[in-house]
Formats: sequence, structure tokens, C-alpha cells
Amino acid sequence: MNTAAVRGVPTVFGVRHLSPAGAWNLLQLLEEKKPRLVLVEGPSDLTDQLPHIIRQETRPPVAMMAYTKKLPIRTILYPLAEYSPEYQAIRWAFENKRECRLIDLPSGVFLAIAEARQQIDQEGEENISGAESDSDEENGESATVTVYQRLDELSGEDGHETFWERTIEHTCIPEAYLQGAREFGKQLRELTQGREQDWAETLVREAYMKRQIADAVEEGFAPEDIFVVTGSYHVQGLLDDTPPMTDQEIASLPRLEAEKTLMPYSYYRLSSRSGYGAGNRAPAYYELLWEGLTRRKPSYTAYSYLSRIAAYQRRNGNMVSSAEVIEAVRLAGVLAELHGYSTPCLRDLRDAATTCMGHGNFGEIAQAVADTEIGTRIGALPDGVSRTSIQSDFYRLLADLKLDKYRSVTAQDLQLDLREKLTVKSEKSAFLDLRRSFFLHRLRVLGISFVQKQQTTQDKATWAEHWVLRWSPEAEIEIVEAALKGETVAAAASLHMKETVEAGGNIAAIAAVVEDAFCCGMPESVAYATAALQKMAVDAADVNEIAQTAFRLSTVLRYGDIRRLDSGPLLPILDQLFLRACLLLPSACLCDDGAAAMIVKGIDQLNQVALDQEQLDQERWISTLGQVAGRDDLNTRLSGFAAAILLERGKISNEQLSVEVERRLSKGVPAELGANWFAGLSMKNRYALIARMSLWESLDQYLETLDDEEFKRALVFLRRAFADFSAKEKSDIAENLGELWQVNVQQVSEMLGGALNKDEKKLLDELDDFDFSF
Amino acid sequence: MAEKTESKVQRLPAEQLFQKEIDALIAAEKDPIPTGWKMSPRSVLTYITGGKAGRTVITPKYIGHKRLVEIAISTLVTDRALLLIGEPGTAKSWLSEHLAAAINGDSTKVIQGTAGTTEEQIRYSWNYAMLISKGPSPEAMLKSPVYRAMETGTIARMEEISRCASEVQDALISILSEKRISVPELGIELPAQKGFSVIATANTRDKGVNEMSAALKRRFNIVVLPAPADLDSEMEIVQTRVAQLSESLDLNAQLPAVEVVEKVCTIFRELRSGMTLDGKQKLKPTSGVLSTAEAISLLANSMALAGSFGDGTITDYDLAAGLQGAVVKDDDKDGAAWKEYLENIMKKRGSRWLGLYQECKELNR
Repeated sequence: MNTAAVRGVPTVFGVRHLSPAGAWNLLQLLEEKKPRLVLVEGPSDLTDQLPHIIRQETRPPVAMMAYTKKLPIRTILYPLAEYSPEYQAIRWAFENKRECRLIDLPSGVFLAIAEARQQIDQEGEENISGAESDSDEENGESATVTVYQRLDELSGEDGHETFWERTIEHTCIPEAYLQGAREFGKQLRELTQGREQDWAETLVREAYMKRQIADAVEEGFAPEDIFVVTGSYHVQGLLDDTPPMTDQEIASLPRLEAEKTLMPYSYYRLSSRSGYGAGNRAPAYYELLWEGLTRRKPSYTAYSYLSRIAAYQRRNGNMVSSAEVIEAVRLAGVLAELHGYSTPCLRDLRDAATTCMGHGNFGEIAQAVADTEIGTRIGALPDGVSRTSIQSDFYRLLADLKLDKYRSVTAQDLQLDLREKLTVKSEKSAFLDLRRSFFLHRLRVLGISFVQKQQTTQDKATWAEHWVLRWSPEAEIEIVEAALKGETVAAAASLHMKETVEAGGNIAAIAAVVEDAFCCGMPESVAYATAALQKMAVDAADVNEIAQTAFRLSTVLRYGDIRRLDSGPLLPILDQLFLRACLLLPSACLCDDGAAAMIVKGIDQLNQVALDQEQLDQERWISTLGQVAGRDDLNTRLSGFAAAILLERGKISNEQLSVEVERRLSKGVPAELGANWFAGLSMKNRYALIARMSLWESLDQYLETLDDEEFKRALVFLRRAFADFSAKEKSDIAENLGELWQVNVQQVSEMLGGALNKDEKKLLDELDDFDFSF
Repeated sequence: MAEKTESKVQRLPAEQLFQKEIDALIAAEKDPIPTGWKMSPRSVLTYITGGKAGRTVITPKYIGHKRLVEIAISTLVTDRALLLIGEPGTAKSWLSEHLAAAINGDSTKVIQGTAGTTEEQIRYSWNYAMLISKGPSPEAMLKSPVYRAMETGTIARMEEISRCASEVQDALISILSEKRISVPELGIELPAQKGFSVIATANTRDKGVNEMSAALKRRFNIVVLPAPADLDSEMEIVQTRVAQLSESLDLNAQLPAVEVVEKVCTIFRELRSGMTLDGKQKLKPTSGVLSTAEAISLLANSMALAGSFGDGTITDYDLAAGLQGAVVKDDDKDGAAWKEYLENIMKKRGSRWLGLYQECKELNR
């Protein structure tokens, strides 16, 4: 580099994003050269965010984000970890009071390019996930991918990540890193030049960056005082002699209006975003590498990695001795030597840990590995830094609704009473809890983990709500991401629900949105979702779906006035759905046992709806049930269940029941049909059934009439029917039977309640394989 | 590969069978050699996974999981004992034999673990006639393979370790941790020379037989050998091994065609996993393991049939007989599963499989 400096060329340091060795070597070189200006690859209009990034309260990982305001929303994201070379360069510049700028295309241009590219892709057959930011990222079967594939084959390792780590990541000589990374980028460039889909974009970016460098020189910075940090791929592009971009060209670049912000980031997110630049498969391990470098102890990484895994295993009750850790260290060392390197890489360490601590099974240490390689670190930004409008809205509401104290990392309970408080003066405080509920529901709809709704103990209580609130930096990230959906919490929730409705799905899903919109107190969304529901309800043909939908609507209606929203428009839809369900039900009951289980749930829900909403056509419901209960051609379990509901509602008398029992359980009827009917009947109001002695008499007599073969068939079904009876219920039945057979109740009870002995079990197991074909 | 030896020995040890390759590797050695070893770890790796030494082509002995071989060799470099675990037929013993052959040029220090193995067979025992007539002396002592390995600083092999009784297994604990055997009768103590180690193998199916104690397990680095990952690597294994076998067994038949190997491996893999290769159809698995080793012996068997009673090429008829024997172990259930496989899967595979299908069907009539 000295020769380059003499000729008056800026130092261009090629790095790999998120590379600890890059960061460390870069720092050494910065200390040596002490440049006056540091230029970093990154959208130039984000330069104003840099002071926030290096503030003392800021803890990486953080991300710079730019996003469009118009739909569909596009984003670009620049995550920075502590060991990002870019982050260290920026920090160095600020600590040493040097100027620091970002020099890549402005974010608005990136977003416009992303949009244009997606349009091209949609037109063409290639589908590329174009919304992701960094153009270095590989898409589809591009030339770079084939180069990397060949590299994998040649290096004989599991992937180029390992190759990179082995060859570059353990380098502690700045000049070697610089040359190595530069050569790597140069060769990659030569192999892929012009064949990449984003080659044109690369050239535009480089021309723009060169222009920034040229501008800096014009401002009076000597070229040798300028230090450029960029991806190694671009080094060659910045050093060759193509002209920088002209004013005219810059003006002609496409642009979208963009918002920018900083957001805290997490290691988990870093690891889950694949692709070069945007992520890192083992962020916590790379932090160990960084620590090893800053301590100047190359072995530090291996020792800490393996001891952390051992510590995790011990914490979770798996014995790991120190001897095993020592063996793992030695094994990792030999594995590295086998490939001709002195320092083990992640792959060696993981394999050594598997062999020595996991007894050869990766599964045994998988969790420890995830914890050690990915980690749980979450970044933080100082309060008030680059807050998005939705964040401001969130904090304002939090204060307004007196929820501030819940913003802590320990989970806290919050009980809400949605009713009007008559004791207070202002209307605002009279409905404080209701407004809180609206707010919390909106957060819930947006999927923000700050809030968790719990089931209320009185499950019919329409006025009480129980929430658990727990703050985490992850929640902050989620709120920032919700900014993509709207400026305020309400707007974001509204858009989210609109999107859900537009995504379609079945009517039950849309009914869920209606319910959500009600809970959120957003009348426009209710109207919108209701209209969509209306349209779809006309075509709905599935009884279960209709039942589920009706049930949800009924829930909404039951909230009634408590949420101070007009639920009137829902009534006609509910009427319509209920009528359709009544009409469809009998024919839907013509089904096999698998489908019957679902329909049982549907019938139950419809019955609940009928009970809750008195204005519905009750007579029709009862007659529909009567039809299902009475017909012989339907699934007998459903007939039995319909009879059970009628019994519960007092629409069948004792005599009618015993007639029906005898008819259903008569000798001519195949045994399993009879038993299945009984199973359906016993699914509801068991107490009433147990109390009816006549029922047990009929059942007893019926079993007497069966021959051996029929008995076996009936047994399988009856056993299933009684399987979920409670111990108390069983003993009550025993009492009935004891009375019937004139034997000791205790004995019967023991017979029924006791575990099966071996022979009985075997017999029953055989029955399970029983062939029911006729 | 060794030339056709006129040896009358039924099965030569690996180091004699592959003498040329070992010599070539030693001659071409460039890397440092650990104490007690004949070649560097990297050459051992080449010997096992194939490659070149000078001009000699080294045939791959273990195909597929190169990384596991690396781990196994590295374990032995760190003088830790190595335990290979796997399903039957995953080439545990095969790998262990070749490791010992490459590292020491001697794979014959073996103890075969059985329910009858005693502690003496692991440590040492006596020539009782001499012991009674002359009293305890070094001459009257019968050294176990482990004892000899310690003396010479080489590798001892312990096959099927989980078949031995626990107290016998535990005799290894003190040897592996102290690295010495004491002989109180002679008042001596034998320290192990550098290079001594043990390669043990154990079967996952035998897990329940004599579960290894945690104390013993801790003294081993454990490498789990999986079944071949995909059809191609399994075919490669089968083809290589069948070729080697046919030479040493003098089977007067042509090597099986690729198509034949493919058919056998496909059937085995599908019955093993209970699913067709494309994952679209479920099928009933059979009770046998249907390991790669069985596929190899099936093909060798078919070659023998073809060579002795046919025209020297494997016909569908030979193959069908072999398959019947390999697949149907437990008459009722396996027979049904096999027939189901024939009708539901093989029959629908089109003309390429038709001949085999008909022969198999004939046998199941």
C-alpha cells in the first residue's frame, strides 16, 4: 500500500461484511495510516445517522433501515455488529475526530432499483427476491453461485464459509488481509464479470462511489489521506480508471421517496437472514473470534466456544467433564492440522464437540451449539434516536394510557374492566380500560410480542380482560417493522387487517378479522371486513366453516355495547349464515367417522350460537336437529349427538328417549352403528344420562342379545365412547350397573376403574386390528 | 488393488490385500508422521477415502462420509480410543480394519467381543501347562492383542464391544485411562508405548444387550456411522466392494451391470426406509436390516450362482433368488410386505423392471 500512497491513490480496504478479522486488521491499518477522511460503503443519505450509531448508549447489533412510504413497501437493511468492519471504521473515525461519510448510492435509488428489478422479474420467468438490499447477494443460479459451488468442491470443505474462515478469518497481519481479500474479490470479479444479473447495478454503484471519492479530493483531502472501506468485490472497480459519475448521470438515476431510521437488531435476526452481507450464520461465534483477535490470543476462540458448550450442557443437567472439553480442544486442533491449518475453524470445533461431548450425536448438543453460535444478544439504541413515527405514537399512547410502568423486562399482569367507571368525572378516565384494551388489541393484531392476551377465568365475562405485558428489545424491533404498515399504531393495525382480508382464505378467517377489528375498536375496519364477509358468505358451502364463522360473529355480538361500537350490520349476516347452516347440516351428516368428529364441533358451536342469539330462528334449529337425530341414513354418532342436544334443551321426553334407545340398539342394527350412536349420545350432559336408569337397562339388555362376533364389534366402539369419562362418572355408572345386576357396587367399580391385566390388554389390542369389512 | 494372489487363504487381511497402495503412500509421504505410525494422518485419509499417491491410484475404501473419517483419524492422533457405532452393515469393522492397516500396517490384533469373552482375553492369560511346571514366567504368559499393542505402541481392535459382559468391558477402563497393565504374578508393570490406541465397534441394534457404562464411554471418542446418504453413494460402495470380492473369491462371473446394482440398491433403500425413493409412496418395511453389506453379499451370491450354474452374467432369475432370501427373513410378515412391494411398486416401474418382477413373482407363487 505504501507504493500506492506515493502515487496519490486513496487506500481502498476490501472487506467481507461482518468479518471480525476484517474489522481488526482494518483498525490496525487505520492506526498506522491515520487518514483524515474515512469513506464507507453504505447509502450516502444515511450519513446523518452515523453519530447515533457511535453514541455511547448504542449497543450493536443495530441496523440502518430505509423504506418506501408508498405501497407496496420496500426496505433495505444494513445490519452492523460490533465486529462489522464498517462499524469499527465509523467508530475509529469519530473517536479520532476524523470525518466519516457513507458513499454508496442514496437509499431512494436502491429502492427504485429494487422495484424496477422486481417488475422485470415478474415479466420474465426468473423470480428473484429483489426486495433485499445488498446487490452483492446472490440470487438464483447466478454466475457467482457457480463460482462458489466450484470453490466448495475444490476446497473439499462443507462450504465456502468454512473456506473463508480458514483462509482469511484467522489472519492477524493487516497487509495480508488486505491483499488476500483484494485478490479474492478480484478473481471473483474476473470470473463473474458481466454475467451477473446485477452487473449493471454494480457498475452504477461503483461510478457513484468514485464520484464521491473525487468530490472529496476536490474538497481538499489529499488522496493518500482518504481511506475507503468497501466490499472486496468492489476494490477493483474503485481502483480502475473508468470515469466517475457525472452530475447529469446522477440526476437521471431513478429515485423513490424513502424514510430512514435506525433500529436495534438481534443476533437471532442476523443468523436467520441468509445471504452474504445481510447475515451471518453464527453471529455469537464470530463475536468470539473478534474477542480472540482483540485479545491477541488466537486460541481464545476455540477455548471459549468449547467451554461455553460444556457450560450450557451442565446447566441443563448433562454431565460434561473438563477432560472431555480438553479432548475436544485437542481433536479440533488435529482436525485443523489435517487440512493444513493451525487454528480450528467453526466446523472443526463443532465436530469435535459432537464427538467428545455429544457422544457422536449432534442432536445431544444441538441446543448448546445454537446457544453458543447464535446467541441471544440484542442491540440497543439510546432513547429518542431516530424514532419512527409509529414508535413516537406508541410511546405517546403508552404514556397517555398510563401503561408506562409495564415497559419492563419482567412480565406483569394487567386486569382490565371494560365497563364505564361511573365514579370518575371525565369521560376519558371513565373509559380508560376500554381504550387500553383497544390499544393492546391493536398491538396483538400487529403481532408485537409486548402483549399477551390470557384467557379470562370467567370465560363468559365480556367485560373483563387479562393481559400479560413484558417488554423486550425484540418488541421494539417489531414495532419499527410495523412502521412499514403505517404511521401510527392504529393505521398499521388497520392496514394489517385489510391485508389479511385481501389475502382471502375462508370465511372463518375473515370472521376472525371482524372480531379483531371489534376488539381494536376500529369501526372502518369492521365495516370493511364485514362487507368482505358478506360477499364470501354467499358462496360458503362448508358447514364447519359456517359454524366457526357464526360462532365468532356471535362472540362479537355478545360484546354488545361494552365496546361502544354498532354491531348492527352483523345481524343480517349471522341470520344468513345460520339459515344456510341449518339447510346444509343434514346432508353434511352423511359422512364417515373422521369427518364426523369435525361436524360434532360444528353442531356444538351452532347450538351455542343459537343459545346466545335469541333472535335467530330457534324453531328451525330444533327441527334441523330433530331431522339429524331421527334419520337412519346419517352417521349414527352425529344422530346420537343431535339427540343429546335435544335432550339437553328439553326437547325430548324420557319416553321418547327410551323408544329411540331401543330402536337404535336393537338386534337387527349392525353392532358398531348402535355403539357409535351411543357414543354420540354420551358426548353431552353425561350427568343426565347417568341419572337415567332406564337407559342403562336398555343398554344392558341390548348387549345380552348380541352374539360373540357382534359383541366384539360393539365393544370396540363402546370402549371408545367411555374412554373420556371421568373416574367419578365411571363410578356412578358402576353404581347403576351394580344395582342392575344386583351385585356389590365396589366390585363393579374396581372392575371398571382398574387397569387392564396383560391378557385383557392383548385381547383389546387384537381388537384394534379388527377387520370391519362386511 | 492387489494382483490375483495364488494364496489359499480365504480372506487376506487388509494390509496384505492393499500392500501396494500402502507402500506407495509411504513412499510418497511428505507430511510429519506421528510416533508409532507408518504414515501421516493425511495419507491415512487418502488410503481410506481414495486419491493418488505418486502415480499409484488409491481405491476408496470408505465412501460417502469423508468428514467422519477425518474425525476418526484425528481421534487416533490425539491417542484417544475410538468407538465406531452404527447399524449393522454400515462398515464399522471394515473401517476399523483399514484404519489399523494404514496406521500400523497390521490389522490383526483383534478381540472379537462375544458373550463368552473373558477379562483374560483383554489383558493376558497363561499357558497353564508351563505355569504349573515352571511357575510364572514371561514365557508362560499368553499376551492378549491389547497387551501386544501396548508393548509395540500400535492399535488394537475390539469388535462388537457391547456384546461382552459389562465387567469385561470395564477391564478396558483402567487400560485406557492408566495406559498400563500390571502383572502382579511377575511383579512387572507394562506401560503402553506411544502410538497405542484402541478402535472398538458397537452395534446400535445391540444397544440393550450390554449397555456400555458411562465411565467407559467417556474414554472413547464416539463416531456414529450412518447408512449411505443417497442412492449414488450406496451404488458406488456396492460396486467397489463387489469388484474386490469377486477377485478374491474367484467368482467366474462378470461383474454386475450398473442397472443390476441400481435395482438392488433401490429395492434395499426403499424397503429400509419404508418409502419410495421419490418419497411419494409409503410402503411396508421388512424386519431385516437390509444393510449395504447385505446388498454386497447378495450380489456376490448372485455372481456365484451365475458363475457356477449359468452363463456367467447375472440374470433376473439369479437376482430374484437372492432378493427372496435377503428380504424375506421372518416368513409371514416379510413375505406379505415383499409381495406388496412387488405388486404396488415394482410392477408399476415399467419395462426395465418387468423381467425381475416376473421372476420374483414366480418365486412367490
